[in-house]
Amino acid sequence: MKSARYFIMACAALTLLLSACKNTATQEDPETEVAANGQFNLRMDAKWGNEDFVIEQVYLDTYGNRIRVDQFLSYVSQIFLVHENGTEVLLKDFYLANFENDVELPFEVPAGRYTGLKLGLGIPAAYNKHEDPAQYPSSHPLSVAGSQGMFWYWNTGYIFTKFEGKIDTTGTPDAALLDSFLFHIGDDPYYRELTFENLNVTVPANGAVDMQLRIFVDQILAPVAGSSLDLATNAVTHTSEQDVLATTFFDNYAAAIVVE
Amino acid sequence: MPRRLWWSSFLFVLGVIGCTSPPTTTKQDRPVHFRIPSHFPPMVHPTDNEPTEARLEFGRRLFYHTALSQNETTSCASCHVQSAAFTDGRVTSPGLNGHAGVRNTPTLANLAWSPYLMSEGGVPSLELQALAPLHEPLEMGMNMMIAVDRLNQDAYLRTLNQRAYGRDSIDPFTITRALACFQRSLISGDSKFDQYKMGAAELTSKEAKGLALFSEVGCANCHREPFFTDYGFYNIGLYSVSTDPGLERKTHIKSDSGKFKTPTLRNIAVTGPYMHDGSMSSLEEVIAFYNAGGTGARLQDERIRALHLSAEDEEALIAFLETLTDWNFLQNQQFTPLSE
Ligand code: HEC
Ligand code: HEC
Repeated sequence: MKSARYFIMACAALTLLLSACKNTATQEDPETEVAANGQFNLRMDAKWGNEDFVIEQVYLDTYGNRIRVDQFLSYVSQIFLVHENGTEVLLKDFYLANFENDVELPFEVPAGRYTGLKLGLGIPAAYNKHEDPAQYPSSHPLSVAGSQGMFWYWNTGYIFTKFEGKIDTTGTPDAALLDSFLFHIGDDPYYRELTFENLNVTVPANGAVDMQLRIFVDQILAPVAGSSLDLATNAVTHTSEQDVLATTFFDNYAAAIVVE
Repeated sequence: MPRRLWWSSFLFVLGVIGCTSPPTTTKQDRPVHFRIPSHFPPMVHPTDNEPTEARLEFGRRLFYHTALSQNETTSCASCHVQSAAFTDGRVTSPGLNGHAGVRNTPTLANLAWSPYLMSEGGVPSLELQALAPLHEPLEMGMNMMIAVDRLNQDAYLRTLNQRAYGRDSIDPFTITRALACFQRSLISGDSKFDQYKMGAAELTSKEAKGLALFSEVGCANCHREPFFTDYGFYNIGLYSVSTDPGLERKTHIKSDSGKFKTPTLRNIAVTGPYMHDGSMSSLEEVIAFYNAGGTGARLQDERIRALHLSAEDEEALIAFLETLTDWNFLQNQQFTPLSE
């Protein structure tokens, strides 16, 4: 595993170097097209009901609490697109989504019909606690800069998801939101692999197609299938001291993700 | 493939392609061999961070550098003061992240042999540990990058960095490697007790009695030679309900509540106040606590029980603990701040 990774890194470095030297290289081999590719755009949009979810906007949750989410970041790993013939195409190994912005990730993939999407919420165990963020270049999502604070420095390992904000628990209209809620979830048992099947996406040769991954933030708090999560009574966890709450949050979060 | 090999192939590729200018020649770096006391086990270094002159100097400069804190007033040495065996005499240390301001600053002596760091043992290496204090709670990650920018403005440090790790600019990798390298050099094994072990000093009868008691009453079960720790985690019964979860924070196991890593007792006479929260101000208080058999808290380790020591016995134990002070370590010129 490790040596394979170094090999890939070495290849990547070599490619980088070669492309950096392009202007000085004498001749280049003409590129040989194997199969036609198309562009697959994966969008990740956080929603509140039918609306776009906006960070720092005040919402009324199903418990009647006025809440405001100030930070919502989440690692998504091992994103694969599954071809109808069963082939899995790796789109991205690690990505840190910040739901302050809509996310759009363009990928070039072989043209064809795809029927599935797989992704992991969090960081898989093999990369989670045994990694030193300082070993990655700053552009990498697992690096010191790239992880944007999503690392437990007292204990090693990445924070998979941060969901923080303010809430009014007095129920007074227009009262300032004075109480905090905070979910910092992350540890090996929390890693979730999600598989979306029976999709029907055709990536046209030399064309482009979009796929929407929707995260219904309102449903994380009042899910259809999960457990209740009243931010007025149950509001702070760094995972370890409130592991039941952490599990509820993460299960609900996983259930609130839909492909459209 | 080991990282060093990888780097050399990287450099090889660079050389072959020749699209960058050849590296400017700098003063050669030289390996350093630490003097390890003969009754200590050998020291193992990470393959990518064997000690060299440049690495040690770089780490030592960083250890005392305030650019590593957001407001440029704090360095590692603000809390880890050499004359106090790299502790700070305060009950708890205020506020840097990973050091939540609820814990007493521990000594940095002999950490090269520690299999993991922090009270709950969650951090596996000094390289990784160096990231913890560098992160302010609200701007984690960013703060390290600010420190990187600041340090890169110092041409001397950049040269040192290049010589130490072969990288043109200072980055989180080289900062954490250098701090770890310097900290591995903080070896304390020249106390009166060590000299006695090597036949170079004699203990007074009181100290000798204390040493014997230390084994007889079971202190040595957990505070084991040569580092006076077994690196285990125990609840010694300080509190019936611990406000600091200790090991439970890491394992999520309720019965681990209030367990902390056995601290070393080397230089213990100069590292007060004591315990993870600095709640005991003197060795007298600590010994009285053990003599009484702890508080009898529900999760207290069964090895902590009433010892029925006389006042004389208590004094002897303290006299022995005082033989663990290594004055050469506290004054070692290799660890002091360097001038500009
Ligand atoms: C504000 C005070 C403060 C500063 C500044 C500080 N530390 Fe610490 N350090 C502490 C405290 C408190 C702990 C104990 C943390 C714990 O166990 O949770 C600690 C723990 C450590 C440990 C683990 C020791 C062990 O036995 O497990 C190391 C290593 C360390 N610090 C190195 C450093 C380095 C290197 C720096 C500078 C980059 C630094 N510290 C800056 C207060 C500080
Ligand atoms: C069961 C294991 C165990 C035994 C037995 C034990 N200790 Fe400890 N000792 C610990 C642990 C764990 C701590 C840290 C507790 C904390 O910080 O909450 C500690 C803390 C200390 C401290 C404070 C260290 C510091 O840096 O703050 C001293 C001094 C000490 N012990 C001396 C002794 C003596 C003397 C004895 C015998 C009378 C003894 N210990 C027996 C595990 C043990």
